[in-house]
Amino acid sequence: MSSTVHSNMSLSRMPRAAWVARWCALRGTVAMLALAALLFAPATGAAAAAAADDAEARPFAARVDLTPLATVAVQSDGRLKSLSSFSSETMAFVSGPRQVAGQSPLFTYLDMMFSPDAYRDKDVIFVKGAGPRARIADAVLAGNLLPATGARMEAFRKTGLISETLLSKPEVLAVLREMQSDLLRTAKTVDAIESALNVKDPRFLLSRLRMVPRGDGDPKQPWHGIAEVMFADGKELVPGAMLLLAEKAEPPSDIPEPSRAAVADAWKALVNSWLKADAAGVDAAAAALAAELPKIDPAGYPQRDRLAWEHWYFSNGHMTKTWLVYMAASILLLLGFVYRWPRARTAGFAVFAIAVALHTLAVMLRWYIAGRWPNSNMFEAVTTAAWFGAIGAIAIEWFVRRSAMYSMFALGAAVSAMVALMAAYFLPVQLNPSINNMMPVLHDVWLYIHTNVIIFSYVLIFMAAVSGVLYAGHRMFGGAASFARVGGAGSLIVAGPDGEARMTGTRAGLGEVLDGVTMVLMELSFVLLWAGIVMGAIWADHSWGRPWGWDPKEVFALNTFIVFALLVHVRLKVKDKGMWTAVLAVVGAAVMLFNWIVINFVITGLHSYA
Amino acid sequence: MTTPDTTPPATTTPTSTTPTSTTPTSTTPNSTTPSSTPGSGAPWWRRGAAGWTLDLFSSVKLGIWLLAILFVYSSIGSAGIVYPDFDAGTWNILDPENWAHDQLRQWRGLEMTEFEWFHWWPFDLMMILISVNIVVTTIRRIPFKPVNYGVWGIHAGIIVLVIGSFVYFGLKVEGDTPVARRRVVAEFDAVQADGSTKRERVEFVASPGQRVEVGEGARRTMFEVRGVDPAWELLTGDDKGKRTYSVTVAVEREGKRYLRQVLAGYPQLTEDLIFTADKTQPVKRSVKETGKPIYDEGLAMSLAYDPQEWFYLRNDLAKSWALYIRPKGATEWTQRPIDGLPLYNDYVSSRDHVFQSGGDDMLPVDPIDIEVGAVAADDPLKDVAFRVSGYLRYAIPRSRVADGGSNAPFNPIAMVEVASERGQKAAYRLIARDPQESRADEGLLRFVALENEQQLERFRRQPSIVVRIPAKDIEVREQIREVAAANPDAPFVEIKGSEVDGKAPYAYRVVNVQDAVPVAGGSVALAILEVRTPKGLFRRWVFDNPALTRDVKEVDASDAHGAPKLEDDSIDITFDPGNGLALVVIAHGPEEGRLRVVSAVGKDPVVTEVKERESAPIGGGVTVRVEQLFVRGVFETKPLVVPRAQRQRDAMETFAQMRVEVPGGEAFWMPFTRWVFDSERDALRRAPFEPRTVRLADGREVELLFSRQRLPLRTDVALDEFVLTSHMGGFTGEQGSIRDYKSRLRFRDGGEAGAWGDTVDVSVNNPVEHDGLWYFQAQWDPPDSRPREGEVMSAGLNYTVLGVGNREGVYTQLLGCCIAVAGMIYAFYVKPMIKRRRQAEVRASLGRKVES
Repeated sequence: MSSTVHSNMSLSRMPRAAWVARWCALRGTVAMLALAALLFAPATGAAAAAAADDAEARPFAARVDLTPLATVAVQSDGRLKSLSSFSSETMAFVSGPRQVAGQSPLFTYLDMMFSPDAYRDKDVIFVKGAGPRARIADAVLAGNLLPATGARMEAFRKTGLISETLLSKPEVLAVLREMQSDLLRTAKTVDAIESALNVKDPRFLLSRLRMVPRGDGDPKQPWHGIAEVMFADGKELVPGAMLLLAEKAEPPSDIPEPSRAAVADAWKALVNSWLKADAAGVDAAAAALAAELPKIDPAGYPQRDRLAWEHWYFSNGHMTKTWLVYMAASILLLLGFVYRWPRARTAGFAVFAIAVALHTLAVMLRWYIAGRWPNSNMFEAVTTAAWFGAIGAIAIEWFVRRSAMYSMFALGAAVSAMVALMAAYFLPVQLNPSINNMMPVLHDVWLYIHTNVIIFSYVLIFMAAVSGVLYAGHRMFGGAASFARVGGAGSLIVAGPDGEARMTGTRAGLGEVLDGVTMVLMELSFVLLWAGIVMGAIWADHSWGRPWGWDPKEVFALNTFIVFALLVHVRLKVKDKGMWTAVLAVVGAAVMLFNWIVINFVITGLHSYA
Repeated sequence: MTTPDTTPPATTTPTSTTPTSTTPTSTTPNSTTPSSTPGSGAPWWRRGAAGWTLDLFSSVKLGIWLLAILFVYSSIGSAGIVYPDFDAGTWNILDPENWAHDQLRQWRGLEMTEFEWFHWWPFDLMMILISVNIVVTTIRRIPFKPVNYGVWGIHAGIIVLVIGSFVYFGLKVEGDTPVARRRVVAEFDAVQADGSTKRERVEFVASPGQRVEVGEGARRTMFEVRGVDPAWELLTGDDKGKRTYSVTVAVEREGKRYLRQVLAGYPQLTEDLIFTADKTQPVKRSVKETGKPIYDEGLAMSLAYDPQEWFYLRNDLAKSWALYIRPKGATEWTQRPIDGLPLYNDYVSSRDHVFQSGGDDMLPVDPIDIEVGAVAADDPLKDVAFRVSGYLRYAIPRSRVADGGSNAPFNPIAMVEVASERGQKAAYRLIARDPQESRADEGLLRFVALENEQQLERFRRQPSIVVRIPAKDIEVREQIREVAAANPDAPFVEIKGSEVDGKAPYAYRVVNVQDAVPVAGGSVALAILEVRTPKGLFRRWVFDNPALTRDVKEVDASDAHGAPKLEDDSIDITFDPGNGLALVVIAHGPEEGRLRVVSAVGKDPVVTEVKERESAPIGGGVTVRVEQLFVRGVFETKPLVVPRAQRQRDAMETFAQMRVEVPGGEAFWMPFTRWVFDSERDALRRAPFEPRTVRLADGREVELLFSRQRLPLRTDVALDEFVLTSHMGGFTGEQGSIRDYKSRLRFRDGGEAGAWGDTVDVSVNNPVEHDGLWYFQAQWDPPDSRPREGEVMSAGLNYTVLGVGNREGVYTQLLGCCIAVAGMIYAFYVKPMIKRRRQAEVRASLGRKVES
């Protein structure tokens, strides 16, 4: 302990050492920037590397450049999306979180539509759940002992991807029918398979391509499907593959004739080149199509910038990989705290700042793309809550910058954000990242007030649990049963009789510091949670007709509050205040997570959207 | 609820102010610490019961225990018991498959909704104890001074909230009410039986497919709502371009058939559409054809509001079952609450009362017995009490075949399975005596009951026709192999030697063959032929009964129902249906239990004798098997209890049934009805009106409905307009394209005599208050996504469902919450500032002391 203090002091006295410390931190920052660059720009790197290869040896998927098409707008579910995000959402219905053969979803979308036969026996349909997979695999293997099929089923059990041909075997159909009759357990899986098969249908894929703006700009009327325009007169012939998918129709009259022909020609050229695997032709047609579509309604067409950002955001996995940066920050901050190691702490802060910057970029981008603050589905609630935690931590850190609690809030926020973004990264099925319109009930100013206050309190609760766990760990490794003499905000300002800090940054003061951190966070979340519940009640009163409906989600928010009320009162009565506080902080977080996970996914109530 | 300033430092004495021995924060007198509660020095028996109770309620420990119990109580009441169940294989805690769940409050014996659980006496008691605990402890142990204002605030806020909540939940009523957009009002002069005329008025709700018939025989008048356009664009008049609600009603009366279109708010634009012989435009505007927009001036039709005066209490908030009764012929229903009827579990007094799926858990025999007697003063059947002896949460009516025993009438029913080599199977239930149910797959499979051996001969033959031209003494017999309905290019068959005066010979072709066309009192078979004779080309419908055979003109098929008439009687055609369309005929009889399969898959029909559960090959690798034969089959209709795993989770009480016992012995299951309409004419499309008529022992007839309790709305409410707003691109049928639902309502104060008030809009998140009740947008009428067999397609938006409820005490609750929030902020953030200031003061005074 004393040595740490000593080195700390000596550092501050020696300019050279200080410089080295700063340099270390800077180096950390540079390293993290490089990491971030790597995280989010794999495509560019890969493309550059691939360019060196022999062009002909590469598959068609790698030779075409669909970038111009990626930022074309498509109308879907009352929104205008980029074709790239639209196709990744649509393909998620087929292949779940998996990518088909390493192709971009946009390529797969088009390829599945133009050459459906190639996908008939390709493992592209995602089946959720190990149980259903095992049953289907057993049914496939029942009449087939070929080693190749065995290996294929092994892969299926892991990835969950299976082909349409295998699914339509009579043995498998029988299993699916059986599974469908169990509404509680497996019916949803079969429904998902059915919808995957429907979505995979090229006629469906074609019918959903509403990418031709209206010539009259009427916002109440839907955009036109590309198939509607396809039959407009032009230079190119309508490809046979398309004739099978769409009935010949009169091209829409609201679009001026030259535009219709130009769009139709570009589309027909795209299909024809695609079917001939003519990459250069596809590139040219894609560029032409992307250039022609906005000309139909230049005023109503969404800004290219927004579509480009949307494309970027979706093709970089909604930036959820930022969890890696948060993890690095957590490790550094933890090292800095446990070993009283200022360099690690400084570097940790730097990395944390990068993580927050990236996270902020992700949240702001989503806000910009969606045109509304991201807090109306599970993905948004989780990632935005984590962001609140990070921003809140920075604010608190400013207040405690001279106290021994310095860096602890950043640590808690880094861990929380890491967990939240990991959940978003690894569980895209549960936390669906697509951007959709909000349900009518969510269109209310209280959505922004109530939801954000609640999720802010939730992330603070999680952060309190992090410091609670650290306290318990500290005690497990022999730390004294110390606690903050005056809890919460009081601990920040109360000084000893001589004006010295009552909390010291020494190893002996560790327990006191951790307990103080838990209390600061607990107090904040206590007020915010209560206020959030009350705001929710005000909203519910005018939305559902009653401020309080004993809906499970409401009750468990209240239960979380009760745990903290218990914490406050138990602290009055027990001797080992620190340990009780730590335990109850963790219990509170557990109840909060139970509310978020189990109540949401198992006992759905009125609050089922987030 | 937060740290009251009672924490004593270990070494403090009440009088000590020396900074070395105490922190300046502990300014509370020692007398408030738990160990020194007033009077607590003496043993409890000296303090007396009152003193002891007072001490008990001054205890923080009691508060902690009560909070802990409250936590457990609300957890198990809300989430029930949830436990991980990782049988499914993965350890993903976000996967609902990995969690098992059981709702304690829904168990037998409890049967409580969330509202009821949180309004049960143990909960109320707990809230009272907590409140008393807070009040006593706060007053006795937390001195009312600046540092403690926060705790006082929080505790006071909680008490105000609890009081407000007792008021709120004690007086809470909440329900829903459907309000249709318009009713159709038709007025016309109807000819009475005695020849006089009388002005008749018919009203019915404008709901697609709604059908109303009045009068009989020639005096019959029929109305059917053929189409509703919720946003019809006006094409003429001053309001051209505006949109309004348009209802098209098909009318049949006095030999006239036409469509009448009525527009809400534009009676002057009412017009008729009439049927024409023009195939390209079978329906035309009357004004175009006759010059007058109204084709039938004897009938006036208009649209009127459909006022709603009731709202129905929500069962999922608190059970509010009711039995509705009225003497047959009466229009007003009287409700009788059914207290004690459960909600979540099945209760039967005998398993024979229900069907269960194979493999489902056996239903426990657990009868209930609830008397449903008259409650209302104006109950029309005060002397009659019904009993409820069973309840099913989720069941659907199902008919099953059973052996009726030797006394039952002869009624052969066969359960048949057709299987292919590849393992595909299809199961059928065939009833020999029922013209429709005796055949399957469009007549390819047929089950017949033979009364004698000769009848079998018919099924050994392919269908054939015999054409005779008596004048030429020609007779041609031909098996029907091909029909023009399937092959439009089928050639005409010329009859050799039938040429008359050098003209073309007689010729014919078979257009279609129909088996078992239902007619009054049975069924007939017929072959439709196109016949070419010197008199021209015509269609002849040749029935198996020659007396019915007739010629039909193509244009309007007008002669299809009249007396038989022949265009050209020089040619005579008879039809022998043989086995008709059937590829496979299963024949029972003439001896009881004897079964034969006649297969016409090959060129000539083959007869095979079979037994029950014995497969008979019919060619092409297909086998037919009679799984079960009931010679004297009867139908049993009982509710089928749907296995839990197959129930829709959000179905609520939609599929509930209760068993009613009528005085006099009759007992039956009654399905639940969401809303109680006065008649079928008032019923909405998704809420069918199916009252049950029972006859009491004394011969009185009573109509019954099983529904929810209802309360008057105090003010009639009507739906002027329902607007669905969408995001860009319009409503696509997907939920994501909907922006908002808006009901434009009008209230009518002062009963039926009152005038309708101004329109008020109710939309999501935007309720309105009227006469003490709040109205919320709850549900809507979505358009049909695909046409359903035999039903009029609906464009939706014909009604709205409003949530209705009161909210007494809500402002008290809000006040309490706000006080508590203020208290928390004070306790956590203002109190430390006060302390810091005091600290500074103490330090300053110390400094002065040292100086002095």
